[in-house]
Amino acid sequence: MRTRQHKWSRPVFAYLAAALILVYLSYLLPQLLPGDFVTAMYAGADVSLNALQEAELKAYFLDNQTFGEYLGNLVRLDWGYSAAFFAPVSTLFFAALPWTIVLMGTAHILSSFLGFFLGVEAAWRRGSLVEKSGVGTMTVLEGIPEICTGALLLLVFSLHLGWFPAAGAQTAYAEQTTFQWVLDVLHHLTLPLITLVAAYFPGNFLLARAGMVMVLKKQFVLTAKAKGLPPGRVRYAHAARNALLPLVTRFGLRFAFMVTGALVVETIFSYPGLGTLLFNAISMRDLPLIQGIVLFASLMVLVVNLCMEWVYTLLDPRVSHAS
Amino acid sequence: MQVHIQNLRVSYLEENHSLLALDRLDLTLHPGRITAMVGESGCGKTTLGKAIMGLLPDNARLRGQILLDRDNVPDLDEARMNTLRWSTAAMVFQNGTATFNPVHRLVDQVAEPLVLKGTPRKKAMAKAVDMLAHMGLAPEMARRYPHELSGGQAQRGLLAMALILDPPLVILDEPTAALDAMTKAFIARVIQDLRVRGKTILLITHDLDLAQALADDIVVLYLGQIMEHLPGRDLLENPSHPYTLALARAFPAMDAVRDLGGIRGDAFYRMVHAHAGESGTDHVHTHVAAPDSFHQGGHAPPRGCLFQPRCTQAVEACTRDEIAIMPSGDHQVRCLRGGIAQLLCFEQVAKSYGPIKALAPTDLTLMAGEVFCLVGETGSGKTTLAMIAAAAIIPDQGKRIFQGRDMDIWVKKEFTSLAPKIGVIYQNPAESVSHRFTVFDIVAEPLRIHKMETRTEKIHSRVLRALSDVRLSTAPEFLQRYPHELNMGAIQRVCLARALVHDPDLLIADEPTSALDPSVQAKVLKMLLGLQIEKGLTMLFVTHNIGLARKVADRIGVMVDGRIIETGPAARIINHPGHQYTKMLINSARGLSDTPQGMSQVYR
Ligand SMILES: Nc1ncnc2c1ncn2[C@@H]1O[C@H](COP(=O)(O)OP(=O)(O)O)[C@@H](O)[C@H]1O
Ligand code: SF4
Ligand SMILES: [Mg+2]
Repeated sequence: MRTRQHKWSRPVFAYLAAALILVYLSYLLPQLLPGDFVTAMYAGADVSLNALQEAELKAYFLDNQTFGEYLGNLVRLDWGYSAAFFAPVSTLFFAALPWTIVLMGTAHILSSFLGFFLGVEAAWRRGSLVEKSGVGTMTVLEGIPEICTGALLLLVFSLHLGWFPAAGAQTAYAEQTTFQWVLDVLHHLTLPLITLVAAYFPGNFLLARAGMVMVLKKQFVLTAKAKGLPPGRVRYAHAARNALLPLVTRFGLRFAFMVTGALVVETIFSYPGLGTLLFNAISMRDLPLIQGIVLFASLMVLVVNLCMEWVYTLLDPRVSHAS
Repeated sequence: MQVHIQNLRVSYLEENHSLLALDRLDLTLHPGRITAMVGESGCGKTTLGKAIMGLLPDNARLRGQILLDRDNVPDLDEARMNTLRWSTAAMVFQNGTATFNPVHRLVDQVAEPLVLKGTPRKKAMAKAVDMLAHMGLAPEMARRYPHELSGGQAQRGLLAMALILDPPLVILDEPTAALDAMTKAFIARVIQDLRVRGKTILLITHDLDLAQALADDIVVLYLGQIMEHLPGRDLLENPSHPYTLALARAFPAMDAVRDLGGIRGDAFYRMVHAHAGESGTDHVHTHVAAPDSFHQGGHAPPRGCLFQPRCTQAVEACTRDEIAIMPSGDHQVRCLRGGIAQLLCFEQVAKSYGPIKALAPTDLTLMAGEVFCLVGETGSGKTTLAMIAAAAIIPDQGKRIFQGRDMDIWVKKEFTSLAPKIGVIYQNPAESVSHRFTVFDIVAEPLRIHKMETRTEKIHSRVLRALSDVRLSTAPEFLQRYPHELNMGAIQRVCLARALVHDPDLLIADEPTSALDPSVQAKVLKMLLGLQIEKGLTMLFVTHNIGLARKVADRIGVMVDGRIIETGPAARIINHPGHQYTKMLINSARGLSDTPQGMSQVYR
């Protein structure tokens, strides 16, 4: 048991240290920027600050809080005040976070599962017409950027046909039962979700197929067949299980960069998630908000990485804990 | 379970040709018998195993029958075949660890077939642990992942996995490759145990020792064709086919004594393809090619013996006739000449010089492609015998048959056609060359004397080739040197070049290295053996040094006072000498007491 703890504590400490460094950098950021930073920030923006707000902001950034205080404030969710939105940063953040998680999470899970199963089945039918045309189509689809798919879907299904809403995540101020609300949310979710799945699925499919094609050449797959196992078991318990790792890596990476990944799609569909929030914050040069979201996004990368290390050891016994 | 394979032909389709991996193979495997299959890698051994399991890859095409009792594998649908797999026929695949799935525990993989056949999981796991324990793997080992196992442990695990359903047919593909001696011995015991329990066993192996020790029958495969089918005990000591002999000679057997020889030539493979011939139309044909020389050297004929390019005893008909496998004693051999041919045969040959009986009536046979060492003290009649073999001395009585013809008649009537077939290296190099000859003239002498070649430039090129064969300089200055300008090693090489310049079939070497110091001797010997294999020579090697004989001989004959008292495979003569005198020779060579000097009197 002791050795196990030892194995585990090392990466956790390393990640904690990295997280602290990130927070420290974010703490230093305003001080590193030259000049009167508040004036510079808001000078060209659409936001007009009154004297009081300006004074408050300057006080917030220039009151020389110590790193300890900064850290304390972070933990207390006191992340400053957004002058552009007239709301505390944390309030804005937590209002946007669930929508991003719903959109991005569903998109990733759907595209990964679909990509995995179809990729595995395609590899198994290697050389068949279905497989060849599948690979061809996916290669083409992978080249289409999500901004195109998104804009096209918006234009056709929302603006032209009017089947789906063009903005938002739910209908505002509507009296709805929970069931109606869920339907409403799904209705809003459909187009951005399809856009993202269309963007992520082809890559996952191709990756899963390529991995599986490699694995199918391995000696142990022949052994599994020789053992008279049912084809489904050979395919999944033996072959696909070994093709999983690259797919999981890709899933993790995509998940880690969730916020930036959401930026384009959320903006196209005016979906009220972190991506849209970040986009707006940047266009209005609202520093406290930018600072908060960027810090969250970078910490997210760390957390996901740590999780991935753990998942790897579960998936492949050859990955040692220490590395 | 009886496995009956008939007229099996497997080819692999490639982009623009196909590869013939097995050709019209007939083989029957019996319950309670171990059939070993040997042959160089790429000859189709694994292909056969996979074919029996119905596991050939998609690009393979199969014709013929594989009957597992009454089920013909090529006719079975996938579902039916899948019910036979592992419960009726199990295979231990080659390269151990890679055979296991890296992400599942050993015991899970061993238990898996049981679970799928309906055994409750707990019971199946217990049974798997038992089976692994039976193979010498402790329960904590069973919980390991494949990458945590050594090669030997993985091999034990594979056996456990293959035997978990107690199948009547077990195919083992290289089960002992790259294993330590202990594990090897253990696995051999497991296989023997399987035979006792009446299993049908196909043992594919490179390890000829193992094959000889375990197998009842041995099948020698070459380029997908069975070359010889022989009883297990005969593999190393009494092969019939030239290829079997070559394999045995190339194999580092535990008690082999001769320094490792190779098999001459390259490994080849067979391809079937079509391309435009001279007439411009595509025609489909088979041919033999070296792995990386696509069409170099032209097309070998589609008919004839596959082993012909490497055979040491090929005759012209070998490239022409279709060769069937034929019985020869209790062997079956695919060879036009009925197996390894006799090159030279003495029947009661004797020679006296006045009152001295140099050679008592003697029988002796030299097989094509072998190195026969004649060992004995000075004065025991070795040189007399060698010179009679070289047709340089006419015996008083007896019969000499060389390549199937009576040598005495041949010498008298047609010496010019006999002489080029024999090359001789004489006992004393410095004395065997004329001191008035240059290096060039010495080497060219046999060509000129026997009028084998008259065109000057031809003579020149053959001399140069012979000199470079023996790793001597071919520079013009060197060709004009005289023997007294050369050292002993160089003179000996010149003599060797002279013996080989006319491409003989039989090389007679009388104490070729005894005048050399040990380091030069080692070099010359190594070169000589290399040439013997490369050119497929039969060699009669005469020496007084049994230690030396041990390093070069396939067979050894021991001579005392004009008589051969014992002949046999080198390994047997050295390790289990039958005659008291031989034992003494060996002991004295090992530096023990009892010098043989003068002891021959005792055995008169
Ligand atoms: N899947 C395949 N596709 C094409 N050629 C193959 C394939 N498997 C084996 N071969 C070829 O068939 C021949 C026999 O191979 P194999 O049965 O593996 O020989 P061995 O087990 O005796 O080493 C070799 O020339 C090999 O290159
Ligand atoms: S003698 Fe001819 S038939 Fe016999 S193995 Fe040699 S080449 Fe083949
Ligand atoms: Mg093989």
